[in-house]
Amino acid sequence: MTQAGPLGWLGWLETTTAATAMRQSLWLYPIVEILHIIGFVVLVGSAAMFDLRLLGRSRQLPVTGMERHLLTWARASLLLIVPTGGLMFVAHATEFAGNPAFRLKLVLLVAAALNAAAFHLRPFRRVAEWDQGARAPLAARCAAGISLALWAGVIACGRLLAYF
Amino acid sequence: MWTIAAAGLLVLAAGVAPVAAHHGWSSYDSTREITLTGTIKEAGYEHPHGHVRLEVPGKVWSVVLAPPTRMEHRGLPASKLRVGAKATVVGYPHRSTEDEMRAERITIDGATVELR
Repeated sequence: MTQAGPLGWLGWLETTTAATAMRQSLWLYPIVEILHIIGFVVLVGSAAMFDLRLLGRSRQLPVTGMERHLLTWARASLLLIVPTGGLMFVAHATEFAGNPAFRLKLVLLVAAALNAAAFHLRPFRRVAEWDQGARAPLAARCAAGISLALWAGVIACGRLLAYF
Repeated sequence: MWTIAAAGLLVLAAGVAPVAAHHGWSSYDSTREITLTGTIKEAGYEHPHGHVRLEVPGKVWSVVLAPPTRMEHRGLPASKLRVGAKATVVGYPHRSTEDEMRAERITIDGATVELR
């Protein structure tokens, strides 16, 4: 259901073929939702397992190996998550744009991306020093904790979208 | 750099504007069951919830229904949710939006479909 609001590009998005199909085709919307969930399960699951390793679990496993395996899948999952998220957005663009849970979700997503970038630009550069059997530096552990909290927040906001 | 990024995020978050709530059953007052009979002025057989604008004497209600997949499964295809049809809905008014209600069931052409 679209709320009355300023038209412009958000209103235009809702008139696109993709948006109309999302609202009116019987099974497209639930299928897109399911693919979105499968995608973010892989993304957040991978990120969480990597974060737990940084926080000190399973220290016998090399961080570099886990990074290559988990974060490759995390990045690949974006191919599923972003287009499906975009489809759900355009179906009700005006409503989503004004939804506080959606706005907070976007803020948290940006924060999670910045946090991941900071981790790769700083502590991860010297991963060779703490790759296996050693405690990760404080910056890495902080990034891991922040990551876990942010992704939990993103999921919470995503679910709460429907309640605001 | 990080303080700037954090400040930017706070500004973004502060720009969040409140908007009328929707969707969850908790947004509707289940202690006040209402029954409306009127004419469908507008019908949306759409995701995530179908809806009709129902004209009753003196008022037009915005009635939130169920997901199209559920309505189809329970015998209320898009063709039955047509403009001009008489419909009776039983449901609950929205807690803050005066002309919105969420229907527990809808009766069209003598056939009642449960929506929850």
